[in-house]
Amino acid sequence: MATKTSERPKISVDLITRMKDNLPVVLVSIFSIILFILIGIKGGPPQIFNIIVTGGMWALLATGLALVFGVMNIPHFAHGESFMVGAYVAYFVFTPLNQFFLSTGSKLLIYSGPFIAIIAAGLVGSVLGIIIEKLVFAPLRHRTKEGWIMNAFLLTVGLSFILTNGTNLVLGPNFRGIPRYFDVKPVEIMGAFIAVDRIVAAGIAIVTIGILWFFLRRTKTGRAIRAVSQDETGAQLVGIDLDFIQTLTFSLATAMAAISGASLLFMFQAYPTVGVTPLYFSWYVVMLVGLGNIAGAIVGGFIVALLQSGTQLFIGLSWQSVVPTIVMILVLILAPSGIFGSEVKGIQEQ
Amino acid sequence: MLELKNLDSGYDFLQVLWGVSFEVESGEFIALIGPNGAGKSTTLRTIAGLIKPMGGDIIFNGKSIKNTPPHLISRMGISYVSEALNLFTDMSVEENLMLGAYAVKERETQLETLDYIFELFPRLEERKDQLAGTMSGGERKMLAIARGMMSNPKLMLVDEPSLGLQPNLTYDVFEALLKLRKQGVTILLVEQNVNATLDITDRAYILEQGKIVMSGPSQEMKANEHVRNAYLGI
Repeated sequence: MATKTSERPKISVDLITRMKDNLPVVLVSIFSIILFILIGIKGGPPQIFNIIVTGGMWALLATGLALVFGVMNIPHFAHGESFMVGAYVAYFVFTPLNQFFLSTGSKLLIYSGPFIAIIAAGLVGSVLGIIIEKLVFAPLRHRTKEGWIMNAFLLTVGLSFILTNGTNLVLGPNFRGIPRYFDVKPVEIMGAFIAVDRIVAAGIAIVTIGILWFFLRRTKTGRAIRAVSQDETGAQLVGIDLDFIQTLTFSLATAMAAISGASLLFMFQAYPTVGVTPLYFSWYVVMLVGLGNIAGAIVGGFIVALLQSGTQLFIGLSWQSVVPTIVMILVLILAPSGIFGSEVKGIQEQ
Repeated sequence: MLELKNLDSGYDFLQVLWGVSFEVESGEFIALIGPNGAGKSTTLRTIAGLIKPMGGDIIFNGKSIKNTPPHLISRMGISYVSEALNLFTDMSVEENLMLGAYAVKERETQLETLDYIFELFPRLEERKDQLAGTMSGGERKMLAIARGMMSNPKLMLVDEPSLGLQPNLTYDVFEALLKLRKQGVTILLVEQNVNATLDITDRAYILEQGKIVMSGPSQEMKANEHVRNAYLGI
């Protein structure tokens, strides 16, 4: 009997036991699928594409939050500011670059402009992440003995104030935006016209998440990140440098937020408080699925996008923040550790 | 190989170790024995760098390691198998083992060690895709010891491997340690099961209330009046 179970494909066994153990997951999946079909019928391809774009971006942001919480136990409330920085970097790189490229007339250059801007945002984000981690969190971590989560939370809130108001002081409260990244006709997909910008944004979200997933699952450093999030002491005992992994994690999370800020520049524009909405929505996601759960954050991003889109279609645009909030409150009451739960060290300890 | 000189250690305001000194020579199998709360685990945790010593010194291969962070101590060749095991419960057995070889650069060496470990613990090979958190207590101890070996350590600190195990599994774990010892790995073992421990080790130190009160070859210790009364119940 024992050999028989070990021969069975592991995934199906896992799935069945998980379904039995996790009624909320099953219910949420069924609900999401029904909602998705309803939205598909009523809204058609544009709505579905909308879900992929926003869902992918929430997933990108929420994965960063999940990583930072899982590895460093920081409830990161300055994550929206990384989004803001990404948007600004993309704006300041793209605008002059685009003008110059337009003057050359080369199509290749013109189409590569947005990608250069988004990559630049990612690079600036990762450097900013390293600076913030080394300057703010590393010193605190080496001194803290207890109350880390609360202290770290307060620090991130302070950081958010400084970054928002600092930007306001230097660049002013003006909106800096672009009408679109790609000045081409919308593409026709199944009878609906969808802007190329959205398709590119969806693609960037999916590719970035895919790369991150591969990195965490298949590479040595990625495994070390997961090891730290599962057992800090165990990680140190096998020779993993905690300081390095934590700086790397923070840098990754900041870079991902900056990339999403940059790829959504055409939707959000750049201004000092642009990060607030993305911050709240990415927190909805991680609270919905369980703090620190990375796989959950990816799925959760799309669930929240579904909820938003469904609310828009069936209840009304002005309700699109209300409904996710209600769902979040319900989740906190009924399943406080999130629908997928999380096995992050530290939550129980502190 | 390892020398503790007048080591003082403890947690914040609670000093546990008071001037502990002992030596472990290369290739030896040493037991550290004592009642609960004597400071055995604290000793191992201090050597592994998880606790900073309050005073004294720890010398490993001629170098002081008292201010070295734990990940560097691990890379120097000291592998600590903790009482809590500290496994990565959401990862597979194989991933846990490969992380044990995190500091080993050459992939070849990693895979060779992995093969060797699977030879030593066939049970782990059968379960290599299973999540560490879903294994039984005995298997987890095996995995923790095996993970500790993946870095090809010079010295292994093993903390209470028999804790919470039924007797026949304890025997398996001891068997594994004896195999290790035959490979020339130096082992410092902390154990509650004093009788069996004295049978398999070369020398023993007795730690009571944070001080070394006695030491000597294991067979002599077994015959000692105090040890017989306090630990063997004879």
